[in-house]
Amino acid sequence: MVKLGPPEAHCRTPTYLRGTSGEVVELVGHYHNPSLLAFHKPGLPKVWLYRVRFKQTSIWDQYKGSERDCVMADLYEHWLMPTKEQ
Amino acid sequence: MTNSNPHEHNHGHDHDHDHDNDHDHDHHPINADHEPESDDRYLEQALRELLDEKGVVTATQIAQQIDIQDSRTPALGAKVVAKAWTDPVFKQALLAKPLETINRTFDLTINTPLELVVLENTPELHNMVVCTLCSCYPRMLLGIPPAWYKSTEYRSRVVVDPRAVLEEFGTKIPTSTEIRVADSTADVRYLVLPLRPKGTALMTEAQLEALVTRDAMIGTAVPSIGSGLYLNGDG
Amino acid sequence: MQRKVNDVGGLPSTPIDHEEHDPTFFEKRIDAMLMLLTSPKVHAFSVDALRRAIEENTADDYTKRGYYEKWLKAIRQLLIEQGIVSEAEIIERIDAIKKRKN
Repeated sequence: MVKLGPPEAHCRTPTYLRGTSGEVVELVGHYHNPSLLAFHKPGLPKVWLYRVRFKQTSIWDQYKGSERDCVMADLYEHWLMPTKEQ
Repeated sequence: MTNSNPHEHNHGHDHDHDHDNDHDHDHHPINADHEPESDDRYLEQALRELLDEKGVVTATQIAQQIDIQDSRTPALGAKVVAKAWTDPVFKQALLAKPLETINRTFDLTINTPLELVVLENTPELHNMVVCTLCSCYPRMLLGIPPAWYKSTEYRSRVVVDPRAVLEEFGTKIPTSTEIRVADSTADVRYLVLPLRPKGTALMTEAQLEALVTRDAMIGTAVPSIGSGLYLNGDG
Repeated sequence: MQRKVNDVGGLPSTPIDHEEHDPTFFEKRIDAMLMLLTSPKVHAFSVDALRRAIEENTADDYTKRGYYEKWLKAIRQLLIEQGIVSEAEIIERIDAIKKRKN
């Protein structure tokens, strides 16, 4: 599940994905925090990056495509929280 | 100058930094004629002069970098795709370790802190790439992105109605095929490996290369026998 | 929640303009300047900083200004932030350039 907030000064989690549940596809790696790099700071501690897939019908109320369609995004751990299995 | 960033491989970039200096031809003169005046023109010139005088970025470096950038076109991406279509061993290696495989196979030294991921299209899955937050693009393989890719129109619409966007590009994907839109939100760049078109079994790798358009590698087009007449055009 | 100007995914929009042009020399120079400034060797600032600087633009600026013009404005801001050039130096140099042209 992508968190709703809090706001971040330089944020790489798009608003349209916030509050949506998805499935982790892959643990991508350990990266310097872009929100800190953006202010000329070293970007430590590093943060884990996850590749997450979301069904379009989970994101949008009135999705006009196929039920199978998805969005995939690479999101940092501090913007994600686990959801209960459905 | 003060830099607090460690030089590890995980910096976020829109672009790779290929600093090969294997260009030995005349460089463009830096101050070209017939450029309309505007505040931005003056600012660009002022910054360029100041950076040169301070030894931060020299005029020669700018000229060399322009040449390097000019040499990057979707042709490299097309080569990669054509080879993946014809060589299953290459394709497997490409999907597992894209940049390493490309560098090794084509004898290149693409050197970037970014990661490249190749998204393979199948009859069940059609991939599309966007960067809703800015304009991240696999420049190391495709060169500079087209204006439409960077536009707010593409970036807002492709995540919410990809099929309508595809229609605008003249591309139709059946509803039985999943469309997956990859939003490049971090340090990973995505290249779509399109489906090999029907009727191409007897084509050579070079002939296949000509069918692979830039748009097919972004996911807004699908290669066909008739595509690739213009490398940057629609398939 | 307030979106930043660049956070456009899912916002209502209009048909995509497919017009393309080869990059102008002006655009290429800005692109080259940015590549070099963010390169590991020079590292004047990070690409993350560039994105942040563009995000700090007003919504008006974001939609009306051209892509490379946005980069140029952000580069200016970051070079000053990093103490590589000063505001005064830039203003002075622009004046001098204008005078040269006349």
